[in-house]
Amino acid sequence: MAVGPASVVGPARLAARTARRRGVLEREGVFSWLMLAPGVAFLLAFVAYPFFYGIFLSLQDRRVASPGVFVGLANFVTLAQDPIFWQVTRNTFVYTTVATLLKILGGLAMALVINQHFRGRNLARAFLLLPFIVPTVLSTVAWMWILDPTFSVINWTLLQTGLVTQTFSWLGNATLAMVSIIGVNTWRGVPFYGITLLAGLQTISPDLYEAAAIDGASVTQRFWYITLPVLKPVLIIVTMFSVIFTFSDFQLPYVLTHGGPANATHLFATWAFDIGMSAGQLGMGAAVALAMLPALSLLIVALTLYLRRE
Amino acid sequence: MCTRREFLTTTVTAAGAALSPRWAHAAPKAMTVVRESSFIKPFDDYFAKTLAMEYEKLTGIKIVYEAVSVGGMLTRLTTVAETKSGPEIVGTNLNWPWLFDQSLVDVSDLATEIGRKIGPWHDNVLDAVVVNKKWKALPWGNIGQLEVYRTDWFKEAGVTKFPDTWEDLLAAGRLLKKKGHPFGFELGHGFGDNHGWLYPLLWSHGGREVDKDGRTVLIDSDETAKAVDFCRRFFKETMLEDVLGWTDVNNNKAYFGEQISCTNNASSILVVAKRDFPEIASVTDHSLNPQGPKGRFHIMQAASHAIMTHAPDHAAAKAFLRWLYDDKQLSRWLAAGEAYYAPFLAAYENHPMWNPEPRYLPYKESLKTTRLHGWPGPPSHAMSESVAKYVLVDMFAKACQGESTKNVIATAAAQLKQIYKAK
Amino acid sequence: MMAGGRGLGRRFLRLYLPLGFFLVAMLFPFYWMAITSIKPNRELYNPRIMPLIVHQPVLTHYVDLLDQTNFLTWTYNTLLVAVVTTVVSLVLGTMMAYPLARTNFPGAAIVAIGVAATYLVPQPLLFIPMSDIINRLDLGNTLSAVMLTYPTLLIPFCAWLLMGYFKSVPRELEEAARIDGASRFQAMVQIVLPLCTPGLLSAGIFAFTLAQNEFLYALIFLTKSDVRTVPVGAITELIRGDVFYWGQLMAAALLGSVPVAVIYSFFVDYYVAGLTAGSVKS
Repeated sequence: MAVGPASVVGPARLAARTARRRGVLEREGVFSWLMLAPGVAFLLAFVAYPFFYGIFLSLQDRRVASPGVFVGLANFVTLAQDPIFWQVTRNTFVYTTVATLLKILGGLAMALVINQHFRGRNLARAFLLLPFIVPTVLSTVAWMWILDPTFSVINWTLLQTGLVTQTFSWLGNATLAMVSIIGVNTWRGVPFYGITLLAGLQTISPDLYEAAAIDGASVTQRFWYITLPVLKPVLIIVTMFSVIFTFSDFQLPYVLTHGGPANATHLFATWAFDIGMSAGQLGMGAAVALAMLPALSLLIVALTLYLRRE
Repeated sequence: MCTRREFLTTTVTAAGAALSPRWAHAAPKAMTVVRESSFIKPFDDYFAKTLAMEYEKLTGIKIVYEAVSVGGMLTRLTTVAETKSGPEIVGTNLNWPWLFDQSLVDVSDLATEIGRKIGPWHDNVLDAVVVNKKWKALPWGNIGQLEVYRTDWFKEAGVTKFPDTWEDLLAAGRLLKKKGHPFGFELGHGFGDNHGWLYPLLWSHGGREVDKDGRTVLIDSDETAKAVDFCRRFFKETMLEDVLGWTDVNNNKAYFGEQISCTNNASSILVVAKRDFPEIASVTDHSLNPQGPKGRFHIMQAASHAIMTHAPDHAAAKAFLRWLYDDKQLSRWLAAGEAYYAPFLAAYENHPMWNPEPRYLPYKESLKTTRLHGWPGPPSHAMSESVAKYVLVDMFAKACQGESTKNVIATAAAQLKQIYKAK
Repeated sequence: MMAGGRGLGRRFLRLYLPLGFFLVAMLFPFYWMAITSIKPNRELYNPRIMPLIVHQPVLTHYVDLLDQTNFLTWTYNTLLVAVVTTVVSLVLGTMMAYPLARTNFPGAAIVAIGVAATYLVPQPLLFIPMSDIINRLDLGNTLSAVMLTYPTLLIPFCAWLLMGYFKSVPRELEEAARIDGASRFQAMVQIVLPLCTPGLLSAGIFAFTLAQNEFLYALIFLTKSDVRTVPVGAITELIRGDVFYWGQLMAAALLGSVPVAVIYSFFVDYYVAGLTAGSVKS
């Protein structure tokens, strides 16, 4: 490590120099930038170029394997006039909002449950993580069967128990298809919330609860006044990333429905991919992908300011 | 820390490699061929093991075969073309020779030569591979999409011969659905099984997306309306709601689960059935697409090889393709493909590959009526966009969901006008 | 802890019922994968028989997976890539998170925003310029290609997540250490990091999981069978045309994830260790 502190007992001169260097290193700005430098350099090298390349593409009429023509904001104008773009926008917002809410609630509940003492706790904690561990493409393939109308075990169970008389078309019906992909996304995401919030819960001292209990605080009060404030920073950050990942989710809808039926489950990422790759319209594809930028950057800026203020 | 060092060394080697002179004159030691993995595994194996070995023995040039998963080839091709690096020879399909025109080597000389020896080529394939009078790819066969149906259930319903028109098929489907054997035609966002029957359906009613000029959008017509109305009835009276959300895998699954009595698919259903479900295979047959008032059509998916312009040695790549498309090699390879690929070459009209299984013969028969997506419009970028946006598929799907014919056609027309930049 | 032990009914409501719900909801698809991986095809495709049990289990899918594909190589590649990228991302992420969370210096907010903004670059379009970089470095078809690209996805996340944990450690502890003569770096390594073990672990678990899960870059950069990772290898070689090799796909999903869960179950202990080390929050 380049900034390693030298606590060496050596000749006086060396000691003096070490002290001086340490003095410089102890300055807040210097220390901070030294720590940041490797990561920032890495990200600049690998993300900055693609990022500007993406913006550059979005301003061009650029077909695959052909030179591009600068068109300014024409791609964005075309998008704004395309009803499917707005449908995709609506889909993405619905998908993100509902799935995120479900994941927060589910994850919080899961964390509280597995924070309790019971036999086999570690195993349960690890196995509850499985949906998050298994490669998404492969678990989605499993869901293809579970949601398959003909073979669906859900339909089979509902029929056998007599709850319904007619089976559901989980992926063929526009509304149900959206419900289905939200469900699968939630299934995959809840364990991550659960385990991350569990880590947050672990930093709360049991003494606090005991003290609160002695003071006569109810379970709900303890949750609101002790648990939640401690979890808040972690919860907010996890939510921010979850929103970003959900917003730009690709694999799951791509494998399960490919945006069908009739675009009912097309999200920004899948639609951008279809336009950029399948249609070879790299410029337009980049424009679609960048269209999600304003909403997300607002979110990021708001959260950064919030966290810096804390 | 170790990664930083590793990063540094790789940067240095990369810089070194960039400085070293190009080895343009020596024959290449190896060439890579990238293709979508064939549905027929022996076809891939025969290429990678038998043919590649023979060629290496013959010339000392190693042929590396890279298989890309289905649906991934276009992405791979885009990366290869955009970064101008990677495989020398690539597999193309649909209208890709047009999309990647500027990255592909002119192979007209080879095509002419092959056409002279084992041709002539079928005329209609020229649309797919000849770009501005230059051959940009060499097709080895069509992946046909036909009607796949259960002969036993059709017989039970009193239909002894596969219906010849869409209306008759609808009538048969009505009977079969009543008996618990619905049809299953994909109306979702798959890769092939949707366009595979919806374009032919549109064409056979006389409907067209766009005119030859690639600017005049023709979708808003009475013919289209007839096709849409038919599709709605066909869906409501013969199918399950699920088909609206299907991708290409679903109809295979439903067919093996004995849930559907008829679908539009390549021969993969029969091939797998023969392997895993012999009793289903014995009651499965293929038929040409039904005809409509304006004729009979099939979709063209011309599997081809093309040479990338970034290949260091175009002559070597051509030499390999010349060897591969020589009857001595091509004939054996196609035979290994179990008639999955129907060659566009006249000399293979009576190729022994058609003998073992007469039920594949309709694939050969269908060749003459195959057309590229978007026909008669030019196979341009705009056509790709229309396909990628599922304009046609969604037009039919929305009608099946209950929207009015007028509405769905108006939506499609607006989309197509924007795509084809028409007035 | 919270369970006061006021009767079994309460414990049932608060623990066993929700726990049971989560176990069923989360693990049912795995049960499905497990039975699919041992069902013969004709049973899998038969909708008329009870789908929840296996009538005639077979191991052919596992045998085929191990015998006819490079599954073990893919697993090795996946683990190697995941371990390397996790370590890199955790180290660099920690180094970024610490100053951003605990010091005030000019430009901090900008850096914090910039780090998160890397996610605004849409991945489906990132891979063209990214593969250009990889080609220039001559890293196509090497595991280094993904080892270099994955941290771009993971560092920002690790940094942000750790910022949250670092913030929860009281400043006084660190200041006390510095008054005792520790440097900033020492205070971080010796005081703050140990207290944030749970945070480091969850960031690590996240990074590891995402790395072994990643699909798009691996699909583009790793095109030879023997350098592929599990998801890409399985999808590329076990799906042919419109025919999926379901049994083998599910076997691959299980073999690829269950061992990781077992390893995690050992790590989960450290959550508790983190707790005992750091019951400090006031």
